[in-house]
Amino acid sequence: MRSQRLRSQRLLALFALGWLLLDFPLLTLWDRQVLVAGLPLLPLALFAGWAALIGAAAWICEADDEPD
Amino acid sequence: MVSTPLVVAASFAYLMLLFAVAYLGDRRAREGRSIIGNAWVYALSMGVYCTAWTYFGSVGRAASAGLWFLPIYLGPTLGMLLAWMLLRKMIRIARVHRITSIADFIGSRYGKSRLLAALVTLIAVVGIVPYVALQLKAIATGYSLLTSGHALSGGGTAGAAWWRDSTLYIALVLAGFTIAFGTRHLDTTERHEGMVAAIAVESVVKLLAFLAVGAFVTWGLFEGLGDIFTRASARADLQPLLSLGAESRFAGGQWFALTLLSTLSLFFLPRQFQMMVVENVDERHVRRAAWAFPLYLLLINVFVLPIALGGLLRTAGGAADAETFVLSLPLATGHPGLALVAFIGGLSAATGMIVVEAVAVSTMVCNDLVIPLLLRRGPGPGGNLTGTLLGIRRGVIVALLLLGYLYFRIAGEAYALVSIGLISFAAVAQFAPPLLGGMYWKGGTRAGTLAGLGAGFALWVYTLMLPSIAKSGWMPAGFMTKGLLGIPLLRPEQLLGLSGLDSLTHSLLWSLLANAGLYVGVSLWRAPSARETSQAVLFVDVFERPVPGGVAGPVFWRGRAHAGDLRALATRFLGDAAAQRLFDEFARLRGVDGVAAIEADAQLVQFVERALAGAIGGASAHAMVASVVEEEPLDLDDVMRILDEASQLRAYSHALEEKSRSLERATAELRDANAQLKSLDRLKDDFMSSVTHELRTPLTSIRAFAELMVDDPAMDAAQRQRFLGLVVAETERLTRLVNQVLDMAKIEAGHAEWRAAEVDLRALVTTAVQTTAEVFRERGARVEVDMPEHVPPLHADPDRLLQVLLNLLSNAAKFVPAGYGRVRIRLRTNAERASIEVEDNGPGVPLEDQQLVFERFRQGGEVTNRPQGTGLGLPISRRIVEHFGGRMWLRSEPGRGACFGFDLPWRHDEGTGKDREARARSMAVAPT
Repeated sequence: MRSQRLRSQRLLALFALGWLLLDFPLLTLWDRQVLVAGLPLLPLALFAGWAALIGAAAWICEADDEPD
Repeated sequence: MVSTPLVVAASFAYLMLLFAVAYLGDRRAREGRSIIGNAWVYALSMGVYCTAWTYFGSVGRAASAGLWFLPIYLGPTLGMLLAWMLLRKMIRIARVHRITSIADFIGSRYGKSRLLAALVTLIAVVGIVPYVALQLKAIATGYSLLTSGHALSGGGTAGAAWWRDSTLYIALVLAGFTIAFGTRHLDTTERHEGMVAAIAVESVVKLLAFLAVGAFVTWGLFEGLGDIFTRASARADLQPLLSLGAESRFAGGQWFALTLLSTLSLFFLPRQFQMMVVENVDERHVRRAAWAFPLYLLLINVFVLPIALGGLLRTAGGAADAETFVLSLPLATGHPGLALVAFIGGLSAATGMIVVEAVAVSTMVCNDLVIPLLLRRGPGPGGNLTGTLLGIRRGVIVALLLLGYLYFRIAGEAYALVSIGLISFAAVAQFAPPLLGGMYWKGGTRAGTLAGLGAGFALWVYTLMLPSIAKSGWMPAGFMTKGLLGIPLLRPEQLLGLSGLDSLTHSLLWSLLANAGLYVGVSLWRAPSARETSQAVLFVDVFERPVPGGVAGPVFWRGRAHAGDLRALATRFLGDAAAQRLFDEFARLRGVDGVAAIEADAQLVQFVERALAGAIGGASAHAMVASVVEEEPLDLDDVMRILDEASQLRAYSHALEEKSRSLERATAELRDANAQLKSLDRLKDDFMSSVTHELRTPLTSIRAFAELMVDDPAMDAAQRQRFLGLVVAETERLTRLVNQVLDMAKIEAGHAEWRAAEVDLRALVTTAVQTTAEVFRERGARVEVDMPEHVPPLHADPDRLLQVLLNLLSNAAKFVPAGYGRVRIRLRTNAERASIEVEDNGPGVPLEDQQLVFERFRQGGEVTNRPQGTGLGLPISRRIVEHFGGRMWLRSEPGRGACFGFDLPWRHDEGTGKDREARARSMAVAPT
């Protein structure tokens, strides 16, 4: 139960981070006419942030239940 | 272009494949070998979120607004992060209360209200019709493009007579397909395993098809992603698509609104509720789906922007045709096969959505709109109603698809796919306040929910739905610009003069504001009734209730009932076999002997009501059960009392559990202690018998010599002297033995005296060697000493350490071969410990004895050629070494000598007796 509560809290924190990362005004940080490795910065940043969020969620969700 | 028969045949073949999968899934479910009991299948089945709107519409949106297609997928990603809390709770509540639709959920929560359930159903149907229309439009457009080379445009098929409209036939075929999928039989839990399996397959197909087109555009038509983006950046008209357009004052608000909207839709769209909550097999699957489903969304979106930009770069058509780029790009470049694959992917997406949505909506309409009307005057006479229920659901499915077709004919031409979809999203977002509030706040009431939902829905109709119809030209558009009744403040897209927002954000803002405000405000107006309170407790505290199933937990019912009446009621709605199973299960849960012995008490009433809720919805089930039993209404005090009793019961059972656990623990400890005592007792017995045995040997010889001398007074003096010498030697041995036994006993009992001093190990070794030099010389053995120049002082008892060392050396002296013996003493140090080893070239210790030499009276070697000794030297040495925190070991290969050694920490704080024992038990015999 305790590990489930911890997982919930981690996911909640990730949710907050996700909103910050993928929403205005922080999103405008990437809104520049710059090419990174031939790709425009904004879509790259959006997809990278998105993928990072999924990776973190996978890590949190798949972690073994810690013993109570 | 692709020939019409080929497209039709491929489409039918694909639908048949899905049907085969569903058939297999259903069959396996009946056999108890579910193929959907898997977290991956669960995650894939959520892919029903991605409809034709995603498949075709995202590209269209990307071609006209760039990255603005993304919030619709970022929202669900964020939403899934909450799934572990939110969705799991929804699943648990739905399972406990046998809830089968979102209308049922809201209706049950607010006091099993039929009116509320009906309102939710109405909103869902009205909100979903445009969405169904969208799917039909997508299939029709795709089909037309594929077979005739141009998409539906302007009049399109709308101008043709309706009976020649292929879209109508598509709608009817899909209706038939849905009926075959979802309403073949009536299930009390509304679970459709076959459908879930088919949707999981469908999700894979549309993903692969879309990825195939994406890869084709990116690497077939262009030279990779970099190429597309570089060329797009070079075009002034395409450059804005790669930025947010953040200069608009309300861009942030709009992005936020879209993300929020899609987050809410993830949970509250009827099809998502069906897949994620009703069809869930195991709550734990949510854990994997929480990241796997967002990953699915990411994958299906990776190529949206490349396809949109690639299409815009290749064709002159501009953003207007972008929704069909997925089909038109392969077609235009001479790849009709790929275009057909893409069409099947789109068909797949649309079919999946329609099947699940229609099944979900048909359950709602049947349970929450039609049945209440049908049974207004009680269950009435007559037989089994299961056939009627199935019939109603099938009718609803056909009606829903025809409504969708109608909307498509009316408004479908004027709007892009994405805009239609968002209208539906905004409708279901109205479910958020009562549903979320109902799960976490006990104060929400039926009146508050009715007011909130009603106002939210009305505002949605006025600010979003009506304008969409007006813009299609089917309604005078005057009220759009001048406001209702000519009042400018009532302009639907600038309500109260709020301007600057796009129509969606504007509508969402007003409708959710009114909805949530009235929900909270009206709820606080009046205290919740008894039934509202009891349902609130059951919903909000669902995780604190014991077993889901209905027999445990508080029962909010009082009155009189007859088991026969309830049985007859169950038979009418569930069929005879299912009713029999139900009552059997209840008898088993209550532990009574057969169905006849069941007493009609409150728990039976609740049990039957819950089972009926699965078939006809919570509100109707309650009404039906109420019609055959005499219920005494509960007041708020009763509810509180029942809750108190339940929580007291829970506390008692908790305390009992706690008590029995601690009893178990105590028993285990006692058992361990007893076992230990027994083994100590056995050791003591062994020790006693060994000691007496060892004492008897010298005693016997002393007695024998003494008797010889007594019997023969004439014995000559030399002989007598020799005998007396032997007697003295045996007595010495006896004394030594007794001393060692006493020593051992003292050490073991913890009464030994230990002196603490700084020990110079070099001096200690030297002394020991000198003391034993004579013995070695007699045996003709050579002694080598190997020690470092400087050894720091060690904190221990020097006499005891000398005793250990002497014991090891005298052991070695006993075992080395006479004449060519060699003994090597090695002193080694490191930062933590000092170690001393004594190695000899004797016969060594046989493997089977290596474990035993440190035990009392277990001398090495055969009994017959045992050398002199008491058998207590090594055990005493070991205990001394352990006393100072060290270990003692033996390394020996039989035939190659033995090496006894010990090590000691430089400074040892006296440990407790307990850890000394623990160390002794875990001591390694040979740390090689």
